[in-house]
Amino acid sequence: MLDSVGPAVGVVLAGGRSSRMGTAKAMLEWHGSTLLRRVTGVVERAVDGRVIVVRAPDQRLPELASTVSVREDPEEGLGPMQGLAVGLAAAAEHAGTAFVCSTDLPFLHVDFVRAVLRGFERPAVEGGPDVVLPYVGGFRQPMAAGYRTELAPTVEKLLEAGRRRPAHLLEECHVTQLDDATLLADRRLAGVDPDLDSVVNINEPADYRAARDRPAPEVTVERYGVLATRTGERGRRTIRAATVGEALEQMRLTFDGHIVAAVNGDQIGNDPELPLVAGDSVAFLSADAGG
Amino acid sequence: MSAVAEPPGGYFGRALVVDVSDGSSTTMPLPAQVLRSYLGGAGLGTWLMNELCPVQADPLEPDAPLAFVFSPLVGTPLTTSAKFAVVAKSPLTNLLTDALASSHFALAGKFTGHDALVLTGRAETPTVVLVDDTGVGLVDASEQWGMPAAEAEESIRERHGRRWRAASIGPAGERQVRYATISHDGRHAGRGGLGAVMGAKNVKALAVQGGKRVDLPDRSAVLAAAKDLRGRSFGPATAKYRELGTLSNLLAFNAISTLPTRNFQDATFAEAPKLSAEDLAESRSVARASCASCTIGCEHIYASKGGKKMRVEYENVFALGPMCQVSDPDQVLEASARCDDLGVDTISAGGTIAWAMECVERGLLDATWLRFGDGDALLRVLDEIGNRTGVGDLLAEGSRRATEVVEQGSAAFAPHVKGMEMPGYEPRTMQSMALGLAVNARGADHNRSGAYEADLAGGADRVRGTAEHVRAAIETEDRAAIMDSLILCKFLRGVFTDPFEEWADLLSTVTGWDVDGAELHETARRIVLAKRTFNLREGWTRDDDWLPERFLDTPVELGSGRTATLPAERLRAMIDDYYAERGLDAEGRPPLATSRREPTP
Repeated sequence: MLDSVGPAVGVVLAGGRSSRMGTAKAMLEWHGSTLLRRVTGVVERAVDGRVIVVRAPDQRLPELASTVSVREDPEEGLGPMQGLAVGLAAAAEHAGTAFVCSTDLPFLHVDFVRAVLRGFERPAVEGGPDVVLPYVGGFRQPMAAGYRTELAPTVEKLLEAGRRRPAHLLEECHVTQLDDATLLADRRLAGVDPDLDSVVNINEPADYRAARDRPAPEVTVERYGVLATRTGERGRRTIRAATVGEALEQMRLTFDGHIVAAVNGDQIGNDPELPLVAGDSVAFLSADAGG
Repeated sequence: MSAVAEPPGGYFGRALVVDVSDGSSTTMPLPAQVLRSYLGGAGLGTWLMNELCPVQADPLEPDAPLAFVFSPLVGTPLTTSAKFAVVAKSPLTNLLTDALASSHFALAGKFTGHDALVLTGRAETPTVVLVDDTGVGLVDASEQWGMPAAEAEESIRERHGRRWRAASIGPAGERQVRYATISHDGRHAGRGGLGAVMGAKNVKALAVQGGKRVDLPDRSAVLAAAKDLRGRSFGPATAKYRELGTLSNLLAFNAISTLPTRNFQDATFAEAPKLSAEDLAESRSVARASCASCTIGCEHIYASKGGKKMRVEYENVFALGPMCQVSDPDQVLEASARCDDLGVDTISAGGTIAWAMECVERGLLDATWLRFGDGDALLRVLDEIGNRTGVGDLLAEGSRRATEVVEQGSAAFAPHVKGMEMPGYEPRTMQSMALGLAVNARGADHNRSGAYEADLAGGADRVRGTAEHVRAAIETEDRAAIMDSLILCKFLRGVFTDPFEEWADLLSTVTGWDVDGAELHETARRIVLAKRTFNLREGWTRDDDWLPERFLDTPVELGSGRTATLPAERLRAMIDDYYAERGLDAEGRPPLATSRREPTP
C-alpha cells in the first residue's frame, strides 16, 4: 500500500443557507474563480493532502480541483455541527487531525491554517488538545479551527441530543485557544497576514463587495528559460494576483501545454484557478523538460 | 551467412560482425521478425547483446561485443533520425548499457549496407577499423593514439578521405576509464563506459563510409511524413531546445529544488544564476548547431574566456558546477571541454568527483586539495582521471568501485544506481523519477526512464510517490524504449499528441509493415524486458533496483517550507507496483517467455 495519507485533512463546510447573502456563497465569483474554489485551494496547499467539502443535500457546487472530495449532509438545516460531523467522520479515514472552515473566508491564508494545525504539536494538555481554536479580536473562530477527527462520534451524539452549536462541542473538549498575540508570534504569519484577515467572513452582499474591492494579494513572479529571454523580462517582479491565472495574464502568458507554474517552488501545475496568497512566489517554467 | 533476401523497407536485414583481432568479418542475418520485434537502435542492440555477448563476460575482455546499431529511419528525410546506438555490457555497471549519438556517422554507417556493425576481439596494436560497402580494413592508429576524439576523427578523415566518418575514443577510453565515451563530431555516446570497451579492444576509432541505400515501399509517402514532421518540429514543443538548449533546465530546476548540489546534499545552488543559460546566452553564446538531418538545432555553442568554443548541455553544467559547488562559468566550461577532450562522461565524472569531494570533507580520502567549490581542483582531478594518475586512478573506476576502496560508510552517499552515477534530477523532489532511476536497466539514467516528464508536468504530487507515479514512470519508459529504437530524438517528443499511433504510422510508412500503436506498446515492453533479461543473466538481483541511502534517510526542503522525504518503504512499494505492472515476479524477474514473444511480420 502506497503512502498517501497526509498529516492533516482539510474540511470545508459549504452547506450553509447563505440566506443573508441571498445567493450561494460557494458560487460567488472570486477573481475569475469562485469563493469555494479559493478556500479549498488555500486549505489544500496548507494541509499537504486531502480536502473534503461537505455540502447540503443536492447542493450545486462550482468546479473544484480533482483532488477535492465531496460529502453530503444527510439532512439540511442543522447548521455547521451537522457538516462538522460528516466532515470529521470522512477525515478520520485519512488523518488524526483536520482544519475545518466555512466557505466564506476569502482572505484565509495558507500560513494561518498551518499556524492553527501547529497548535496540535504543542499540546497544553496531556495527550494534546481536541480542538485548536483561534480567538481573534476577542471572538472564537470555530469555523476556522483545528479538530481531532476522532471527535466525529461526539458531534453526532450532541446533534442527537439537540445540542447543535459549536459551543456545545467546545464544552466537551480539551481546547487550546490561540489568541492574536499567540498567532502573530508566528513571524511568517505576522508578515503575510498581520491583521489576521484570515478569519474575516462575508455574510451580506455589502461584505462581499467590500471584500472583492480589496486589492489582490501581493506576490512575486518570475519567468524562466525562453519565457524570460524571449521578452527580455528577466528577474523577479512584484504584482497583485489572487490566482495563478491572474499572474499568468499579467505576465502575458497562456497555459498552452508548454508552460507550467510552480508556487513557492513546490507543486507544479497549470491550473489557472489555483489560489495565491500574500507572499507567494510563482515561477513560470517550460513544461518541456529534459536533456 | 547470406543476407535476408527481401528485408523490410528501411532495413538491410543484416549486421556485420568484425573481429578486430584479425579483421575478419561475418554477416549476420537479421530476420524480419527480429527487426519488427526490436526495431533498431537500443532495442535491436539489446537483442544483439543477448545473442552475441558471452554470459558473464568481462566487458573489457576481447569476446565482449561492442555494437553500433542503426535503425529503420536512418537515411530517411525524417527529422532527427540520423542517430545511432552503441550497445555493450558496461564496465561501469557490469550490466547492459546503450548510449545514443547522432549525425553523419549514423548515415555513413548504415550506408555500408548494414543495420548494425559489431566489433569483437582485441587488436594487437592501436587500430582504426574501416568499414565501407565493400568490406573491412584495419589500419594502424599509432598516429591518433593519445589524441582527443575530435582530433582523431579529423586525422582519420585527412588520411583516408573526407567521406569517412568516425566514432572515436579519447585518451580516457584508451586507458579504460570506466565511464569513457565514444564520440562523433563532438556528440558522445556517453553513458556506461562504452569508450573503455572500445579502448580494451585497442580500437581508437570505427570509421565508416558507404553508398548503399535502403528500399522504401513508398518514397513519396515518406517524404510527405517528413515534411509534416519538419513543420511540427518548429513549433512550441521544441522552442526551449531551439532557443536556449537544455541548459535552460538549470535555473528552473533550482527554482523547484530539483538541482542536485554538493553531491546531493542540497537541492538548490545559490550561485546557479551565474551558470544559467539565460546568463550565458547573453554573454557567451556564439552559435547554434544541429545534428545531420535535424531541424531543431538544440546545440548552443558558447565561448569560454580563452575564446574556446564548446557545446554546453544541462547535464555537463549540473555535474561539473552545482554538484561540485563550482560556480565560475569559465571553470565549468573548461571542465566540460576537458571531459570532451579526454572522452569521459560528464555525469559520471562530476558525480564521482563530487563524491570524492565529500569524502575529503569528511576526512575519508587523502586528497585534501580536492574541495567543493574549487574549480582548479576540479580541472586537476579531471586530468588525473583521464590519465589514471594520483587519486584519478581510483576515481576512474567510478564511485561504486571507489567506495569499495574507501569504505568507512562512503557508499551511503555515493550517487549511483547499479554503478552508474546519477543525472541532474533530485529524486526526493521528483518521485516518479526516483522510481525510474531505481529500476532502469542502465542504472541511474534519465534518458531511458524519462519519468521526470511526469514530475515536471504537474498533476500528481511530485514529492509523494504513489501508484500514479508508477504508471507515469512505466509510460515514459515505454516511450523512451520506442524513441531510442526507431530512433527519433527525444527533444521531438512534445510534438506528438498520440505518440504510439503516430510512431506506428511513421514505422509503417518506412517499412511497409502494418504496425499500430498497440503493437508498439507491446514492442516497448518487450525491449524493456529484454534489457532486464540480459541483466538477469549477468547477475542482477532485486537489490540492484534501489537508490543510495542518502535519498532514503535525509529529507530536503522545498521553497515552500514543505519537506520532501522518500522513505524506503515508499520506494519499495513503488518498485513492487512497478514489477506487478510490468508482469515481473516479486523479485523483478521477467517471465521466461515474455521477452522472447515476438510478432509475426
